[in-house]
Amino acid sequence: MDAVFSGLASGFAVALDPFNLFLVLAGCFAGTLIGALPGIGPINGVAILLPIAYGLGFKPESAIILLAGIYYGAEYGGRISSILLNVPGDAGAVMTTLDGNPMARNGEAGKALSLSAVASFIGGTFAVILMSFFGPALASYAIHFSPSDYVALMVFAFASLASLVGSNPVKTLLGAVIGLMLASIGIDANTGVPRFTFGIPDILAGIDFLVVVIGLFGMAELIHLVEQQAAGTLKTLKIDKSFVTLKDLAFVKWTILRGSVIGFFIGILPGTGASVASAVAYGAEKRAATDSSKFGEGDMRGLAAPEAANNASAGGAMVPMLTLGIPGSGTTAILLGALLLFNVTPGPLMFTQRPEIAWGLIASMYIGNIALLIINLPLVGLFARLLTIPQQFLTPLIAVLAFVGVYSVVSNPHDLYMIIALGVFGWFLRKLQFSLAPVILGFVLGGLFEDNLRRALSISAGDWTILLSSWNSIALYGLALLVVVVPIVLGRRKRNRAEDEAPKAPA
Amino acid sequence: MADRIFAGVLLLVAIGYTIIAFTVIRAPFQYDPLGPESWPRILGLVAIPCILFVLVRPDVETFGMPLRTWGRLAALVVMLSGYAYLFQPLGFILATIVFCMALALMLGSRIVPALAFSVGIGLGGYFLCTKLLDLNLPAGILTFLR
Repeated sequence: MDAVFSGLASGFAVALDPFNLFLVLAGCFAGTLIGALPGIGPINGVAILLPIAYGLGFKPESAIILLAGIYYGAEYGGRISSILLNVPGDAGAVMTTLDGNPMARNGEAGKALSLSAVASFIGGTFAVILMSFFGPALASYAIHFSPSDYVALMVFAFASLASLVGSNPVKTLLGAVIGLMLASIGIDANTGVPRFTFGIPDILAGIDFLVVVIGLFGMAELIHLVEQQAAGTLKTLKIDKSFVTLKDLAFVKWTILRGSVIGFFIGILPGTGASVASAVAYGAEKRAATDSSKFGEGDMRGLAAPEAANNASAGGAMVPMLTLGIPGSGTTAILLGALLLFNVTPGPLMFTQRPEIAWGLIASMYIGNIALLIINLPLVGLFARLLTIPQQFLTPLIAVLAFVGVYSVVSNPHDLYMIIALGVFGWFLRKLQFSLAPVILGFVLGGLFEDNLRRALSISAGDWTILLSSWNSIALYGLALLVVVVPIVLGRRKRNRAEDEAPKAPA
Repeated sequence: MADRIFAGVLLLVAIGYTIIAFTVIRAPFQYDPLGPESWPRILGLVAIPCILFVLVRPDVETFGMPLRTWGRLAALVVMLSGYAYLFQPLGFILATIVFCMALALMLGSRIVPALAFSVGIGLGGYFLCTKLLDLNLPAGILTFLR
């Protein structure tokens, strides 16, 4: 316990350094701006700005504080376009539109925005507090993990990814494998043997992480925006004078708390981020409500639950990223890759070896949450004005940002073609209902997965039973089996019940 | 159908990947029990059944896009490639102005706002990035900027 408080104290010393404090605020502000843009979610925002943040040449803790601020801010900002435009920035914000947009249409736009800001704040702060206690505990446990335990952990991560993310588990798994395959391109670090390079010098060192992120998230998003262009003009609802009252907050306090708990723990699960958390929180709230008839027509609870959950999950997703080196969501996978770019390997040792990064980041999230609440209550009108930026200008701007980011870091024109190709590929994947988060998770974890597998088998001199030799790994394989089997069983039971209720339904 | 075509292409790639993993990749001598070839072999052997599953049970029928949208996307990719091609030789400012003009006009902007926007992004972006943020951008044919 003492370690937590002394860690937090040292973290605040880092985060309150004037320059870092400025970066937290700048990141939160930029993140909110990006999150508020229609159709651009946290993951695209972080992806597009990552190379620029990297190119600025900051110290690693400063850069990661900036990126985390952008991530956080974008989670806050996403609700603005969801509520006023009914256009969610990403999958995590879909649930916010269900009751947020009807509230705005009922003339309670101001109330919806302020309520969701407060819910986001509580969810986010709750998650950071839990994280300050959970993180170090988990890290000190994970310090004893052997390579074979890590293999089991990865299997668990990909199992929960496949079963919880996206509509089709096979496609999610395939997406992760595509990411792993992309990561296997380049010279093998252990033996110096080139793999799948076909003698092309530009990919001898492997495909650059920044190139993959910008391609799959920045460029694919750009193509998607151009595709959607024909869908007609977006109509923004006006912000009125209504505001959230203490009575409203008292009415939704348990809702927010439940949403925060659900969000945090779903966020911790590897691979499952805001989209699953907000959907589960919304569903749970609707079931728990005594009168659920108004859900979907502007019920405050239906807005508060997913908003608290998606911000809490952003904090929860940081926990496995910082303590195990396994990202809890697509966006944290990008943050993990960012840390790797700085030669910082997140994992159990980070709390002891690089405390300024681990604790500095946590402390900056406390500050960021407060800053975001302050930024978001009075300035929401300013962000809302962004929604009216014409798409024909926004779209080229994204391309320019992506090009600047890639060029300023790698300075190789070859990579500009690479991001275009990856963007087209990512757009195809998206059109075919593959989700892209597993691809980036696979890409980030590919090297780690292979290294640990090879290290484990080197220890055992090629005996595969080492993978099942510790209780940690057996428990993790058990959990992996559980996350795959339980949703299938539940789904089947639900279907059976539905068939019982409607026996005459045509097959 | 769309799913099947995509999965078919992926299948060819995955088969190629797996064949290379089984034949070409080989360490000069054994460093560790798995060597560089085992991991790609495992990946290939996981990917192929997944792709076959998608081939047998596809769930996306068509892209549901009119031909015009396809045309616009093709134009976008051409513009992006042009931008990538011109980026270094022409320099950031000119390449960006040309690219932003073209894309904004295609997306239905009128000429004067598009011009103002493009020139603003080209010049403003260059000075913001190189002078204020110290990022590396090509000056191209405007050599006096260097």
